[in-house]
Amino acid sequence: MTAVARSPLRLPSSLVLGAALLGLIAAAAIVGIWLTPYDPAAFAVRDRLQPPSALHPFGTDEFGRDVLSRVLAGAHLSLAAGFGAMAISLAVGVPLGLLAAFHRGVTEELIMRAVDLLISLPPVLLGLLVLAVTPPSLGKTIAAVGLVYVPILVRLTRAVALGLLQEDFVQAARARGEGAVPILWHEILPNAWPPIIVECGLRVTFAILLGSALSFLGLGPQPPASEWGLMIAEGRDFLRQAPWICLAPGLSLCVLLVTVNLVGEGLRERLDPQLSGRAHA
Amino acid sequence: MPDAAMSDVVVDGNVLRVEALSVAYPSRDGWLHAVDGVSLSIAPGTVLGLVGESGSGKSTVVLALLGLLGSSARLRAERLEFDGHDLLREAAALRGRRIGVVFQDSAATLNPALTVGTQVVEPMRVHLGTKRALAWQRGIELLAEMGIPRPAEIMRSYPHQLSGGMKQRVGIAAALASEPDLLLLDEPTTALDVTIEAQILSLLDRLRTMRLEGGRRLAMLLVSHNLGIVDRLCDSVSVLYAGRLVESGTTANVLQRPLHPYSKGLLAALPRVDRQHAGRLAPIPGRLPDLWAPDPGCNFRPRCAFASAGCEQPQRVTGDHHKVRCHRADTIVDIPWPIERATAAAQPRSAVPLVEAADLSIRFDSGGWLQRLLGESAGILAVDRVSLTIHSGEVLGLVGESGCGKSTLGRLLLRLLPALDGTLSFAAEPVRAKPDARFRRQAQVVFQNSDTSLNPRQTVGEILGRAIRWFAIANVEAEVMVEVGRLLDLVRLPRSYARRYPHQLSGGEKQRVGIARALAPRPRFVVCDEAVSALDVSVQAAVLNLLRDLRDQLGVAYLFISHDIGVIAHIADRIAVMYRGTIVEEGLADDVLRPPYHPYTELLLSSVPLIGRQRDTDPPPAARPPAAGGCKFADRCRFRLGPLCDSVPPPLQAAGPGHRIRCHIPLPQLAGQPHWLDRGETT
Repeated sequence: MTAVARSPLRLPSSLVLGAALLGLIAAAAIVGIWLTPYDPAAFAVRDRLQPPSALHPFGTDEFGRDVLSRVLAGAHLSLAAGFGAMAISLAVGVPLGLLAAFHRGVTEELIMRAVDLLISLPPVLLGLLVLAVTPPSLGKTIAAVGLVYVPILVRLTRAVALGLLQEDFVQAARARGEGAVPILWHEILPNAWPPIIVECGLRVTFAILLGSALSFLGLGPQPPASEWGLMIAEGRDFLRQAPWICLAPGLSLCVLLVTVNLVGEGLRERLDPQLSGRAHA
Repeated sequence: MPDAAMSDVVVDGNVLRVEALSVAYPSRDGWLHAVDGVSLSIAPGTVLGLVGESGSGKSTVVLALLGLLGSSARLRAERLEFDGHDLLREAAALRGRRIGVVFQDSAATLNPALTVGTQVVEPMRVHLGTKRALAWQRGIELLAEMGIPRPAEIMRSYPHQLSGGMKQRVGIAAALASEPDLLLLDEPTTALDVTIEAQILSLLDRLRTMRLEGGRRLAMLLVSHNLGIVDRLCDSVSVLYAGRLVESGTTANVLQRPLHPYSKGLLAALPRVDRQHAGRLAPIPGRLPDLWAPDPGCNFRPRCAFASAGCEQPQRVTGDHHKVRCHRADTIVDIPWPIERATAAAQPRSAVPLVEAADLSIRFDSGGWLQRLLGESAGILAVDRVSLTIHSGEVLGLVGESGCGKSTLGRLLLRLLPALDGTLSFAAEPVRAKPDARFRRQAQVVFQNSDTSLNPRQTVGEILGRAIRWFAIANVEAEVMVEVGRLLDLVRLPRSYARRYPHQLSGGEKQRVGIARALAPRPRFVVCDEAVSALDVSVQAAVLNLLRDLRDQLGVAYLFISHDIGVIAHIADRIAVMYRGTIVEEGLADDVLRPPYHPYTELLLSSVPLIGRQRDTDPPPAARPPAAGGCKFADRCRFRLGPLCDSVPPPLQAAGPGHRIRCHIPLPQLAGQPHWLDRGETT
């Protein structure tokens, strides 16, 4: 990721900084667990509710588990929830949006009215609906959060594609007799992806937050998993005696959100033609 | 007026004096020198035309006069004076008050959320301190002076309720409301149809004879790329090229006897309806020079047909009344700009129709799905039972104003839009609603806007390669590249362009790529939809010549759609004139351009501002509700016979071999009209 910073294209500083931090967090999520001497799930009743110290930098929880180890072990869950959900929304939303733009009429009405229905439900409620009927798990959280953001991507993709479909180069493709697939693949998608990517970059933040919120409500990964939202929920009861149990995952979540937001903002600066001006004038 | 004689002899009381104005904009690659040492002056009661193609810096001059360049621009001038005030310091206080502006797009300059009246009254209230009721009364008078019918009613309406021409009249009224001494007109008619343009031009013409309070007379600066308009309106002309003034003098001198090679080239490149079929146009090769590092010598040198030793020296402006910046001006004074020769002899045109359309119609529905379901939707017949034929190797010019359905007709002929009714056959075979690959291969299209007609994410090679592969002209990569090279040769672009992206090309080059893409499947019929309308005159001439050569070389037939009757007259073998969805006249170009013609054709032709012709436009007839069932032109027709025109569909009269006119007026009477060129006085 740091190699990008040396590119001659003069990337926005928020993108460089965000990408570097995100790389650091991802690295910590992958290798961090081996760097701490504690098993994140191991009980140590004698060491319960220890304040932060040299031995336990973030302290210990009510079962004596090392909070730092647990935060590190939980990082991948938040990352997975955010990016996984976005991947699902992309995979479902973009094709639906393209389809709705290309086939005006019945197909468009069906897709867009279904989207209206989804969008009319509050995100948390929608997540609850999906998760409440079956036993919760990480995969289902990702799917639920992904579903929440499908409508946004369908609408965005459709709007962008509708604009592009009016362009003369698409008319030229139609005059060659090209059908939906070649037109969408060659003419529309290469021009449509910058705004879509920008939107995704900014939405990942909300997806991570929503994933954690659902976990907090007990609808995500189940104990003893160390999802940050779940950790905050568990630490709630000891907020007065041992605030670090909540603070550590809460602050980690903050840092992650700011980082992802930096990347999103950076992408927007880089890709949004209205912000970058005419790059090749 | 008693003071008429006095104010007529204002000689050196120039209201605007600009000397050595230079403007540079900062950019990533350094300073962009948009205007370089331009001098001009305007006397009260006169109109100065500022002429130049895109990138010449003419709009920058206007912004500099208004002090609207923005803080980043670098502005230098030895003198920038308006009526004794230094514009470098006082522009903000003078603009809107004593300097009025009219921009090209009045739809964008009028605030859609405010009534017309509010916007006309505001300058009077702000600058003159006029009381509200009085200002409103004055606003109504102003609108009436601008030739707006029912002014009191219009004052209370919103901009979107007005037509383009009306909006521009309101824009002019708002600019005049504060009684300025100088009116800046930045391409005031470019967005308008030619008949509306003619009306605005006669309005502006009236303004210059108008006298302001205290015997002052209005001075105007007209910025335009259209030499015809400049000739119609201006007393003197200054020609700008790449930020430098190359020639200035009286309109008659500059346009009839141009001295600078660039002015000569511009005039030779202009397709003129009064000189139709006068052989080929003379394009100016090359493109605008680098404005980042201005050439200290003549910056037109690389494109100039008369370039010689000495051109690399800085050029001095010589002459008193007719100034020119060219050291060879005296030696080339009688030599016209050279015209390149055709590359191939024309192929014989066949007598068998290639495209045959009968009764093609299309309706655009208005209203929502509920109205449609209930059958209440009125809808607009954008194309109303149009029949036409195009032969192999023939150019059929389709001319009409915006919204007449000419582009829609073009798309119907390509089956890009579903026809409501009618039949289409190609090479004597019927074309189905969903045509097969064979038709697609043989019928292609070139679009107007070269910016949107090429996919910005594909290189020229990929754009052409896609068309080549799609039609299986070649499949192996090497063969495709050979074919790409052949196409680029055909449109006279270097083969290295295959690796470029559209944004790396100029407008004319992009249009050539669009043509090459249309030619990739080796079609027999190409629809050129305003294919040269967005291009500058010098580039337009090159593309028109190219299209004509390709027709001669390959025997391709064109449907050439344009609003510019000059372009149509230049390139078309036959002309069809379209009005509100119907073809009102069709015939050989020579027949259509002389009597007998349809009253609408006559209106179109006489509205074109021509160089060397001064004439007044007739006031438009009083607006009547458009005829239902009768002639669609009846409400605008000068020769309307009576209720017959309003109620009975006009018959198609045969005026000669292949020449048909859709009109109630008997042919002898139509034939008795004077030739459009003879109407009005010719200078």
